[in-house]
Amino acid sequence: MFPAFVKHPQNFKFQGQDADEEIVLVIRAHPITNLAWIIPAVFIFLIPFFVPNFIQFINLDFPPLSPNFSLALLIINFLLVLVITFEGFLNWYFNVNILTNERLIDVDFSNILLNNQDIAMLSDIQEVSPSRAGLLGLIFDLGDVVVQTAGARVGIDMIKVPRPYEVADMILEQAEKAKETP
Amino acid sequence: MVAVSPFDVLNSLFFTDILRVIILGFLGFYAIFTIIIVRQVDLMSRILITPVSPIVRAFSIFHAGVAIGLVVLMYGFLR
Repeated sequence: MFPAFVKHPQNFKFQGQDADEEIVLVIRAHPITNLAWIIPAVFIFLIPFFVPNFIQFINLDFPPLSPNFSLALLIINFLLVLVITFEGFLNWYFNVNILTNERLIDVDFSNILLNNQDIAMLSDIQEVSPSRAGLLGLIFDLGDVVVQTAGARVGIDMIKVPRPYEVADMILEQAEKAKETP
Repeated sequence: MVAVSPFDVLNSLFFTDILRVIILGFLGFYAIFTIIIVRQVDLMSRILITPVSPIVRAFSIFHAGVAIGLVVLMYGFLR
């Protein structure tokens, strides 16, 4: 349902897609990168279960709050979990790179108040540099792909995407096809 | 003379008033934030048209509804 690497996706379109434009690849950050928000969310979710035991453990003579306030604080705790989870998911889901037979599009959803799109025509692509670094990169085959275009035009960075070398190959292949086509 | 624990302040009227304002303020900001999320999800769903987009949009609206409902509920609950 939420794949990070989809070749020739069905039921996927984007704003501004031409009628004869075919989507070749849709790529997001590797799902393992979601641990960056899943772990804090789980930790915050568990806080209410551990706080009473912790207070008891350090022998703090802490009088209980009234039930209404305790419930309100519990609800705030779970709202925090909800917003971290939802915001983390949106950040991952809407940060997407789309390779078509005409161009490469980088849709950024950096935070809730900023979204940005970089579009590079395949005929302008000069260099594609894949890299795989770190232990996670080695284990899960994830890395960065930096795409440079002619002159001072837009450059596209794909961060922590799965199969970076395959992605780079596909971009170069499409770029060559685009340059051959008059 | 009655010994006063520093924690007695937690149950004082002054403290509960402050706590009430903090909780309601937090929930108010949270509700505004969820409305911004709805708007942003709506914009992003127009940029990326996928079968999941309507579900995400529906969830964001539900999320905002819950947040606004909680402000009203807590306002009555913490009086």
